[in-house]
Amino acid sequence: MTTELLIENVSKAFPGVQALNKVNLTLTGGTVHALLGENGAGKSTLIKIITGVYRADSGTLKTNGEVKFFESPVEATHAGIAVVHQERNLIPDFSVEENITLHNPPIRFGIVDRVKRKELAQKALETLGFEINLNEKIKNLSVAQMQLVEIAKALVTNAQIILLDEPTASITGAETVKLFDVIRRLKATGTAILFVSHKLEEVYEICDIVTVLRDGESVLESKALSEYPQGEVVDLMVGRHLADRKVELREIDRTTTPVFELRNISTALGHSNTSLKLSKGEVLGMYGLVGAGRSELARTVLGLHGITGGEIFLDGQLIHIKSLRDALHKYKIGYVTENRKEEGLFLDFPVRKNISVTILSRLLRRLGVINRSQEDEVATKYVDRLGIKVVNNDQLAGTLSGGNQQKVSVAKWLAAETEILIIDEPTVGVDVRTKAAFHELILELANEGLSIILISSDLAEIIAIADRILVMRNYELVADFPNTKDYPTMSRSIMTSIHS
Amino acid sequence: MLKTFFQHRMTELSLTIIFIIGFGILVATSHGILLHRNSLQGFLTYLAVPIVIGMAQMVVLCIGQMNLAVGAMGGVSSGVMAVLMAQHHYPIWLALLIGFLVATGVGAINGALVVLTQLNGFIITLGTMTILLGFQYRLVRSFTIDGYPISLPNFGAKSVLGFPLILMIAIATSVLLSLFFSRTATGRRVLATGGNALAARLSGVSNNRSVLIAHTLSGALVGVASIITIASLPGINRSIGGDWMLSSFAAPIIGGVLMAGGTVAVYGTIVAAGVVRLVDIARAQYSLDPSIVSLTVGVVVLSTVALSEWRRRRSERAREGMKVSR
Repeated sequence: MTTELLIENVSKAFPGVQALNKVNLTLTGGTVHALLGENGAGKSTLIKIITGVYRADSGTLKTNGEVKFFESPVEATHAGIAVVHQERNLIPDFSVEENITLHNPPIRFGIVDRVKRKELAQKALETLGFEINLNEKIKNLSVAQMQLVEIAKALVTNAQIILLDEPTASITGAETVKLFDVIRRLKATGTAILFVSHKLEEVYEICDIVTVLRDGESVLESKALSEYPQGEVVDLMVGRHLADRKVELREIDRTTTPVFELRNISTALGHSNTSLKLSKGEVLGMYGLVGAGRSELARTVLGLHGITGGEIFLDGQLIHIKSLRDALHKYKIGYVTENRKEEGLFLDFPVRKNISVTILSRLLRRLGVINRSQEDEVATKYVDRLGIKVVNNDQLAGTLSGGNQQKVSVAKWLAAETEILIIDEPTVGVDVRTKAAFHELILELANEGLSIILISSDLAEIIAIADRILVMRNYELVADFPNTKDYPTMSRSIMTSIHS
Repeated sequence: MLKTFFQHRMTELSLTIIFIIGFGILVATSHGILLHRNSLQGFLTYLAVPIVIGMAQMVVLCIGQMNLAVGAMGGVSSGVMAVLMAQHHYPIWLALLIGFLVATGVGAINGALVVLTQLNGFIITLGTMTILLGFQYRLVRSFTIDGYPISLPNFGAKSVLGFPLILMIAIATSVLLSLFFSRTATGRRVLATGGNALAARLSGVSNNRSVLIAHTLSGALVGVASIITIASLPGINRSIGGDWMLSSFAAPIIGGVLMAGGTVAVYGTIVAAGVVRLVDIARAQYSLDPSIVSLTVGVVVLSTVALSEWRRRRSERAREGMKVSR
């Protein structure tokens, strides 16, 4: 009997967003199945449901002839499912060998069998054709090496079903070739492989079957990949709902001094000679794949890490941003982070305090006491302005939906009266309708004179609202397009610049 | 509006009820002796120190750290006060001021060390605690220092309308602290650091400054506790501060302060300190073994922490739709 994993009508909702809606997928032994979709389409959520990290709201999962969801990742491992998650799951202070055998270390007489452990790890690494000192600690490895250890960790379990979530995101071409050899060998022995990747060439090289997710729905379900040319798959991924929307071109006056300019900026993280100009009231889009170095550039420039070279100009004046505090209070530059839960919000604080955190020193009365009524006024003003749905200003931010949380994290920067706003992936994990409302909001703010750098991995989003689009690849700006807002031509040029 | 008020104040309300019931039982079983002027005075007087050291711990807990040196700082600070008055004949006000500044200074040093080394307050204060215990021993040796002007204990025994003056000092300090956290920009920034350090940093809050302020404030509160101690005890020896650590954690944690940081509960801490005092009284009244007190308080602290952690995880799961990790 061939291995099979059947997913039928699986749905999963997070507060404020339907992450998966009646998704179907059939994973068969001896095939490589591509799972495609834009960021936030629900790919990782689906993988986490298969492996028992999340609980599905409805639907069924059938493996080895048994209909049931796994209760935990451990149970999924025992059922022969191995997974390489998008995020790293290695223990930095353990050796390569310990990490590879972490799930199921070989035991002899009640203690870990070190000889056997070495053998197992060695074998897994050899299959990958990857040489590394087995006793090296994970924390001393490069990102690519960690990725390979992660893959070896999945191989060592002899799993019948292997789920690979962006396995090639951080490894080089040569390493990818080796990985693909392994995948082909596994396929020949009847293993079922689910392959998630943004790199379409790779998908066409290695995959047989394809499922496309869009906004949580499976818009293409387990079809032979050869029947769908690349363009058609891209259309299915991004959909036309946003592309067809009427968008107007905006007039941006680029003859005046740019409000913000980077000249030959280099960073310790790997950017070199990066330059860009932002005009007043402009929405400057910055597109790229996850990990291209866009957020890293923004965060470095704003003083979170040091820049190693180059100059920053504000209204033509050379400035030195020492910290985010500096950026905010001295230069009126704000940064809306992509990790709203971890970095953008105080989930256990009321909405009012989340908004006022950037302007506390402005709300002071005598003796350094905060003027509560003024604080409430400001909070109400931005709650109304952004249409944040709250019971009252004292509702805890953690109880809001994703879209409303995102609006709260924008509100605090508007309250601070920033003139330049860097918005990082504003609509990841929010539903289509909220997305559209958010886009309108960004355009409105720009029309009022706010200058915005929009970092986004959502192609439709960036084409819909940016005035100009920069493309970053491997920490380098590789293209600069005026945005015609014509989806077919723009998406083609951007995709070409990314993949050339 | 009323409903959210009760939800937010759940811990504090139930503690108040527990306190009232407990107090009632003790009054009834003691045939009303507890309500006599002297025993009531005693009960309230010895409530002042637990309240203030609870506050000293609370301000550090609210940035997600701990101050293990609370007791040792109090020991040194009150020791300095006593030695200056008894052996060097400093005026009372000056001796108390210097002792207060010593405690505040040590707090500032704790904060500075945490900022400079980027280590957790736990390990830093464990270190300063050990150093301070050495200082305390050099300062007071194994004597009891009591040769200071009688006006100080007299002041400590004063009461206004039947209310001990030093308890009023403790409560006034707490009220000021409460205002600091709810109404000043600095207090709110400190809480922001405790609530989510990353978000605070990205919002232009200096986390280092918050850490420094929290530890310095903790030291200043220990200084206040030392003043109360020296004013309410007949003499100072090296046992002072020895039993402060558990009670400093007990009051805020039972009172509803989260170990993870981001919250303060001034009223809760006061009432919890009262409840802990009741356990003490019960021991004396029923002539129970002294170990009962530590045992009871320890168990209550552990179960409170476990309960709040369970509640936190449950609400987080409800938010994320995640399963229990096993």
